[in-house]
Amino acid sequence: MSEDEISIALEMRGVSKRFPGTVAVNNVSFKVYPGEVHALVGENGAGKSTLMKILAGSFNDYTGDILINNKKVLLHTPFEARKNGIGMVYQELSLARPISIAENLLAGRLPKKRGFLDRRALYNESKRLLTIVGLENLDPWLPVEDLSQHEAQLVEIAKVLGTDPCILVMDEPTSALSQNEVKRLFGLIRNLRNNGIAIIYISHHLQEIFEIADRVTVMRDGKRVDTKDIAEVSHSDVVQMMIGRSIKEFYSREEREVSSDVLCRVSHLTRYGFFSDISFDVRRGEILGIGGLAGAGQTELARGMAGVDRTDEGTIEIDGKVLTSHSMRRRLDQGIAYLTDERKNGGLALRLPVDENILAPIINRYAQAGIYSKKKAEPVVVDSIKNLEIYPPDPSRTVGNLSGGNQQKVLLAKWLASAPKVLILNEPTRGVDIGAKETIHAAIERLAASGSSVILISSDLPELVSLSDRIVIMVNGRLTREMNYKECTEESVLLAANGEGGTEA
Amino acid sequence: MKKSARENEMSVEKQTTQQIEVSRLSKFVNDIGIYGIVLLFIVLGVVLETTGVIKGFMSIRNMMNIIDAVAILGIAAVGLSFVPYSGSFNDMSIPTTMALTGIVAIQMLKYGFVVSLISALVVGIIIGSINGLTVGKLGVNPVIWTLAINYVTMGVIRLVWVNKQIYPDMMGASEQSIRLFDDIFRYRVFGVVGLPVVVLIVMVIIAQLVLSKTVFGFQIKFTGSSKLTAKLSGINVNKIVVIAFILSSLAATISGLMITSLGRVGAWYNGSGYDFKAMTAVVIGGTSLAGGRGSVIGVLGGAIVMGVMSNIMTLLGIGTFSQDMISGAIFILVVGINAKTLRNLGRDYA
Repeated sequence: MSEDEISIALEMRGVSKRFPGTVAVNNVSFKVYPGEVHALVGENGAGKSTLMKILAGSFNDYTGDILINNKKVLLHTPFEARKNGIGMVYQELSLARPISIAENLLAGRLPKKRGFLDRRALYNESKRLLTIVGLENLDPWLPVEDLSQHEAQLVEIAKVLGTDPCILVMDEPTSALSQNEVKRLFGLIRNLRNNGIAIIYISHHLQEIFEIADRVTVMRDGKRVDTKDIAEVSHSDVVQMMIGRSIKEFYSREEREVSSDVLCRVSHLTRYGFFSDISFDVRRGEILGIGGLAGAGQTELARGMAGVDRTDEGTIEIDGKVLTSHSMRRRLDQGIAYLTDERKNGGLALRLPVDENILAPIINRYAQAGIYSKKKAEPVVVDSIKNLEIYPPDPSRTVGNLSGGNQQKVLLAKWLASAPKVLILNEPTRGVDIGAKETIHAAIERLAASGSSVILISSDLPELVSLSDRIVIMVNGRLTREMNYKECTEESVLLAANGEGGTEA
Repeated sequence: MKKSARENEMSVEKQTTQQIEVSRLSKFVNDIGIYGIVLLFIVLGVVLETTGVIKGFMSIRNMMNIIDAVAILGIAAVGLSFVPYSGSFNDMSIPTTMALTGIVAIQMLKYGFVVSLISALVVGIIIGSINGLTVGKLGVNPVIWTLAINYVTMGVIRLVWVNKQIYPDMMGASEQSIRLFDDIFRYRVFGVVGLPVVVLIVMVIIAQLVLSKTVFGFQIKFTGSSKLTAKLSGINVNKIVVIAFILSSLAATISGLMITSLGRVGAWYNGSGYDFKAMTAVVIGGTSLAGGRGSVIGVLGGAIVMGVMSNIMTLLGIGTFSQDMISGAIFILVVGINAKTLRNLGRDYA
């Protein structure tokens, strides 16, 4: 049987999508067959999400051809995508929380009888969909906010299945699930596959991919590197394809000299409902990693420390002095800086130039009687641009016109320029290319080497493991485990983040 | 493979550089372009006069009228422009702030001219603080909130002064105080230039310096461009918003004193229409409602356009209602074009 005769659920031919300043997806071609689980892997910023957004009909200006069941289709709107049988399950849930499960499941196509809502049909159809995902015991009239994260995730999948997709895209579906829940989800995925649905599975967890996928496509820098049968490749082969060189090279790092005096001491820090009784020390020159699943309270802890949100109990000491003020301004002047994980939403003022973004937190330092001197501030900006290799090296360039990686460098430059004693980094390399990542990592290590303390929050496990001198693990708002340099591996961190593995406090 | 990606990026960057050059030019045109429109309207007036359609446009007296109108509107508009610049859209409480402060000034005139002025300014600062604190701290919608404040202030005027108009010479004030109050609008600096114009020019210069040289100017631009980013950069966003609203109210107070002195009467209707007129001047002067973009020079140009246009329409015999309609249409046109060009250029990173 030649390849033309086999039905192909999805084929992409030379698909590209460019944004101002970058080519996010560059001439990608690949095929997905009915009844296979096709894993899509790549580092943050490799173009997976953009590729899937193209499939979801988010862009009307992609180039190249997309064929579904051997027929050429245009996916210029989400409606066209849905009509062509593409179902998307996103990482962030798209359910309306105060509304009932049933109404969420059939949102946009509620059954009607003589112009009124047909509650019986709504109930029956919801029950049918819930049964497929193994939630037949759930009352469809419950509001979604009463569900656990795991159940909500399954309801989300049920909602997508309700549109009878022939291609199902799952983006990090396990990020908030425990191991048992993951096993149940995999059971569901296998059922769907056996019913002939083509599944595209995106995940950072290689173990999951080797467990569930039939084939794997690796992406890097917007291009497809290769597609392989999962049986043909090993973990390290895949990682090698993802990062474009051997693993050894990427992870190699010597153990750093860290002084023994404590620069920052956090004691019993608590914010009700978000994190509680957090205590740890960070030494001068140390990079302390905070690991954990998304939503375990790392971001809230960082915001609490930086003075963005108020904390309810506990203290923070810097150089032995307890910080009394809760204002972010005062904390900043006392040496705590916080790099937010949302570059475009609170991180940078995209409409303003590079220099104004870098100077925003520290403009007072170049002012006398309320009047600042641009001349005095200029060297800081020029140095930042040079040290972080911001391209193009033009202080007056509008930040929104830079590429993602360069924007992230500007964001880091802004906080490095404030010469912090303690720098809290939340996802410092989210969505940047590998070159920018290396530059940013080098800058972080230089800062630590200069005697500052760095607290690193990252969901990028290789990054967390390779940069941190020590890692503490956060589970449900509490620190559960501390690992020294030798104990830190991707696997041990992942296990601990899931509340498994060793239990020493 | 790596190399080609680099080349690709280079070509994209080159393209962006060209875009930036264009945008710098368009920014310059934006800042100064309003004066082209000023010129256009003056030429229109002269043409209409020479062809005999209108009479008296070029007379000294009419020119003085235009300048006075521009000064009163310009003062309010320059102050108001801080509000949209800080990202808080609009201050709708300008009309009653102008009316109330004028009334208070006349009421207090019997305690002396200085007391009268200070009372008016204090009332202005109180209204501005209430607006700023609620918008900044509680995060209420600025347009709705200041609109409500406008109505409450109107209620206060109607309640306390029971619909009465009050006159400076009937409140038991001394001759000297009355004369000084009359002079707020009529005093000629060096016997030539009217006080309102001098105040306006001084305000424009100070506002320009504040925006370009001071930490406050830097921070208000940053806050207007992205409030959340400003907050996460340690900028006290609440303080910035409060100051912006106080500046708006203070300018409205000065403008209100001028108009009260001009009419020699304190009345609830003194500032009516200035909310929209001032906002139109600000917007056609190139200040973006999205915040963080605009210039004081542009606002001045906007006020001049409004003044000249309104004068020509009056000379043409166009009624007040029709004039309002035309101002409204211009506002819609300018805001529409602005939003569309920004979207087309893909530059409006909100």
